[in-house]
Amino acid sequence: MPLVTLRHFTEDDIPVRTALLREARFQANLNDLGVVTSDEALVARQRKAIAEEHDVKRHFTLCGPGGAIVGFAWISSIDWRSQCCELSFGVLPRFRGAFGAAAVAAAHAHIRAELNMRVVVNQVLEHNTMLVSAGELAERRAVRCPWDSYTVGEWRTACYWTDSEDDVRRRQSSIDRRRREIADRIRSGGRT
Amino acid sequence: MTETTTAVPAPRAVPAAAPTGEDTGPAGGSDPQTPTAPELLTPEEAARALTDAPVRLTRGFLGLDPVTQNTALLARHIGDREIQVLRYGEALLGYTVNPLQPRQAHVATTSADPAPLDALLGFLADYQRATSFVAEVPEGTPVLPALESCGFTPCGVLPGHLFHSGRYREVLVLHTDREG
Repeated sequence: MPLVTLRHFTEDDIPVRTALLREARFQANLNDLGVVTSDEALVARQRKAIAEEHDVKRHFTLCGPGGAIVGFAWISSIDWRSQCCELSFGVLPRFRGAFGAAAVAAAHAHIRAELNMRVVVNQVLEHNTMLVSAGELAERRAVRCPWDSYTVGEWRTACYWTDSEDDVRRRQSSIDRRRREIADRIRSGGRT
Repeated sequence: MTETTTAVPAPRAVPAAAPTGEDTGPAGGSDPQTPTAPELLTPEEAARALTDAPVRLTRGFLGLDPVTQNTALLARHIGDREIQVLRYGEALLGYTVNPLQPRQAHVATTSADPAPLDALLGFLADYQRATSFVAEVPEGTPVLPALESCGFTPCGVLPGHLFHSGRYREVLVLHTDREG
């Protein structure tokens, strides 16, 4: 059983996601729309996404053990024919350390295995190192775009890159190799 | 569609015992709790019922997929494509009339028990004058025995017709006639 599972975003999830939209780091790292938008308008937007926009913008709820909501993912700029989309995340503050990486993996796995997406476009604002470290961001970005967004009173630089299936496979191999090395070190009592 | 009342009579012949087993899916038809008449669902009710049913029985149900489509989108497709979904016990049955050949219906079931599907075919023959029935099921579907028991025979395979769980899947096309 994976640590994080993914299901369709429903109306019952709206209050939790609305609270996330109002959270300070979410606003700095993604967008600060929640500051200047009324509760009613935020709820209406999310209801519309569920009821009317599933073909063009798909929201998911990320769940931890026992079904607890740990965050949300959403895909936009969906090109079904080219099998390409943009993937975004918002993990609830109390789950960021424990579930962040697993949430990213779960979302990638679903959109590849079930939605048949082959290329995922990632955008991360450069100051945001919650899910991708500064070093990894510098290594993976294909485009660095200054003045990309204005959030919480500051212009932000964004990093963009795409993940193909080969990229995901290579990264997963690298993660598996690191895990094996760590396990081997533990088994050997730290002797190299 | 706003009706929620019965549209399909009870099966004319219900087997004494429904198939059992892990992979046979909801039985329907011979369960003591089974109602005597199927219930026609609204698109919203149908979408919710398909979402709640085991995915191994519902993926590809008349081209719908509750894993990748939320209930709102399922309901919209059901309405737009004039799909009728009925609940009979635990089984869900579906049909849509081929607009190019109004006496042909595409049908689907979530049950390995043939009785609910047989009742649906009887209803469509009696009330829609349907004489030709087509079913499309993904490879490995547990509902194949119900279709075969109702006289469906394979007439083709659509290679790579569906994508789910990480790979393209074949879809088996089956057909049966009931001359009126």
